[in-house]
Amino acid sequence: MTPDTASPSESLRIAIVDDEQLVRVGLRRYCCALGMTAVAYAGGKELLDALSSAAAPPDCLLLDAHMPDMTGLDVQQQLRRVAAPFPTIVYSADDEPEARERYLAAGAAEYLRKPITGDDLVAAITRALGRSR
Amino acid sequence: MATARAAEGPRTDAVTLRLAVGLLLFAPLSLLGNEIGAVFRYPEIGAAVLFPPYAILAAFLILSSPRDWVWYILLGAAAHFASHWPRWSMSWVLAADIANISRAATAAWLVKWRLGTRPRFENAGALLQFLAIGVVIAPAVGATIGAANVLAHGQGTFGHAWVAWFLSNAITGLTILPALTLCLQGDCRRAATRGRVLEAALLAIALVSTYGVAALLNGESAWRPALGLYAPIPILIWAALRFGVAGTSMALTVVTIGAIVAADRGIGPFQLASLDESILIVQLFVVLTSVPILCLASISAGRRAIVALHRGILASLHDQVAILDGRGLIIEVNDSWRREADLPAAEPVHRAHVGDSYREICRSVAERGSATAARLSAGLAGALSRASYHFETEYDLGEHCARYMICVESLAIPGGGAFVRRSDVTAHHEARMEAEEQRRQLSHLARVASLGQLSGALAHELNQPLASIGSNAEAAILLLNRPELDASEIAAILRDIVSENQRAAEVIRRLRAMLKRGETRLMPLDVEELVSEVLELAHAELITRRVKPIAIVPPGTSPVIGDRVQLQQVLLNLILNANEAMALVPASERKLVVLATQPADDSIQLSIRDSGPGIPPALMDRLFEPFVTTKSEGLGLGLSISRTIVAAHGGRLWAENNSDRGTTVHCLLRSAPGIAHDQRQRERRAGHERTPIVERTRTPIPAPLGGTSSAMSAAPPT
Repeated sequence: MTPDTASPSESLRIAIVDDEQLVRVGLRRYCCALGMTAVAYAGGKELLDALSSAAAPPDCLLLDAHMPDMTGLDVQQQLRRVAAPFPTIVYSADDEPEARERYLAAGAAEYLRKPITGDDLVAAITRALGRSR
Repeated sequence: MATARAAEGPRTDAVTLRLAVGLLLFAPLSLLGNEIGAVFRYPEIGAAVLFPPYAILAAFLILSSPRDWVWYILLGAAAHFASHWPRWSMSWVLAADIANISRAATAAWLVKWRLGTRPRFENAGALLQFLAIGVVIAPAVGATIGAANVLAHGQGTFGHAWVAWFLSNAITGLTILPALTLCLQGDCRRAATRGRVLEAALLAIALVSTYGVAALLNGESAWRPALGLYAPIPILIWAALRFGVAGTSMALTVVTIGAIVAADRGIGPFQLASLDESILIVQLFVVLTSVPILCLASISAGRRAIVALHRGILASLHDQVAILDGRGLIIEVNDSWRREADLPAAEPVHRAHVGDSYREICRSVAERGSATAARLSAGLAGALSRASYHFETEYDLGEHCARYMICVESLAIPGGGAFVRRSDVTAHHEARMEAEEQRRQLSHLARVASLGQLSGALAHELNQPLASIGSNAEAAILLLNRPELDASEIAAILRDIVSENQRAAEVIRRLRAMLKRGETRLMPLDVEELVSEVLELAHAELITRRVKPIAIVPPGTSPVIGDRVQLQQVLLNLILNANEAMALVPASERKLVVLATQPADDSIQLSIRDSGPGIPPALMDRLFEPFVTTKSEGLGLGLSISRTIVAAHGGRLWAENNSDRGTTVHCLLRSAPGIAHDQRQRERRAGHERTPIVERTRTPIPAPLGGTSSAMSAAPPT
């Protein structure tokens, strides 16, 4: 699948992985409106393919936890294995209290519960980038 | 009855008493019979014209136990001696007595063997057997001994004597023997109502009068033979039609005695050259008249018994019954029907009496707008024309009124006809409605429980569009704050928001449909759409469990007939079961296939196959019973309710373990073959992309899932 790409003129590069087209388009639009560069992928496999084909790694990854084929946890494990140099923000509709711990334990920098507000997203990206630097 | 069949076993006081009573009755009858026999006899050979002792002894022997026979035989012999000795020589009387005993014992033994200990003559077959024994065989035995006796005493030729003895006993066997055999069984007493006694008396008077009048007429009068020969015939037919074999044989006895007396006195129609010839003619007259008249009596009695049985059956039926002829005229109704028809407030369609055309009544009520009468009219027409053999319908006479079921059966009789049975099924209907309501409530509860099980997944389903709407709207706000307005981008955002809003609304609509308690509405449903909607509902749950469903609905599959929500409930339940069954299987091996096939034009089979561990053999037989479950949670009602729903749709639900692994649950439903699948307009949701969950295939329909060598099955398709 061809990733949906946004304006390349901005400095901060965000990658978005979500199997729901309208969700990832919405997130990409929001990031672009904030002045970032956003690339959206329909699944973990597409992201990993892009990373392995020597595309420039993003500064931060927004990752949906619930996806068919490869779940958010699967993608996190793969990124850990290749020692991906960017922080991951996982989001899901899970309202179980242990969901957050699960994803953080798997290496996520931040966990957000859907629906995500713009402010929450910006704050999470800021925190994740601050921590990784 | 005077003599009774003695119980085989130790003699009791009651049996002894019955024998004593029998002998007390037998003795005078026997004496009287011997006297009558002594009066009317051939002057030359001494044989009686009519010999009642044969019939009397035979009748008592037929109706008594063989171990009592000796008493009757001894008493009969004593009466015979008392009447004939010393008028006749000892050897003659002894030989005549041996002839009588042989005859009576032969008759009694053969009758008991062929017709039992209480012979009835309500069919011509039984009567003819009785006559063959009592009129032909036994008299022939007696005639042979009697003729030998005549020959030994040098009183005539063997042939002449044999004919005389044979005819005298044959006549006795035709007249007195049946009358006595039936009367001793209590026939005359049972039938003796006041009207019948009066009618019998009238009949007897009429019969005696014919001979009286004949006797009074001048010997030259041409009326005399006519009266003597023909006048008794209509009276005998009257007896045959009204008084059965017993009454008729009594009447025949009167006719015989009358004819013999007339011949003896020379006043009847039977006056020929010699007395012997006259007597022979009388005997032939009696024999030739009696056989057809007795047959008529037997057939008439049989018919009366059948009519009585038929009326008895009709009267005992609680249902209202009417019998129609081929034209639809009511020829008979039972009491229950008559009572309903006579009610002042009877419904027009119930107001039908014997002689009315029920067909016409239904037709005219139908013309006044009654749908029930129209249905009934059509059903009647079908049954009367034999286009259909059975028709039934239920109707009520308005709200809160009685409910009836009416059945019309075509009658297989010449000229055709119909049997109409109407029953009040109000209580049954109410019970059925109550059961249906309870089933609906339970089914609803199960549906709510299924959705409860899906609550997490459903929250996810709602969160997806909300997430998309949220980020799109925030992006739009940011874009609107930019100096240069990108109107096309904002329009695209708004379009997506609208689309996601519709998607959220669709999730809520589906949820509401499933949560609602509604009436069952059967309609043709697109199979692909049905499967697709259920998979949409279960989508998030399937993703959570990392199960990727494959649905195969071949093109051209006819719509299935059913209630959308109920069938979705069944499919959802089966899909969630399959989903849970694969929890312990590695994610890469989890396979869920929903396959639609069309085994026949009028049926659709939906098969849900999983790759789980299969159902334990011990559980397979009980799988669809309530409270049976393989899961640690849940009541175990899902499959039981699903099967009830499918059965209420006229379908079947069964499970079988696949030959390789996992289970396949099959759901066979009715289809609507007339409606082409591809022509139907389906609402298609557009605007968001998702892995296609229903795929159309043009490949041949795969073999039934798991059907080739399944190890076991919960209910094999039959």
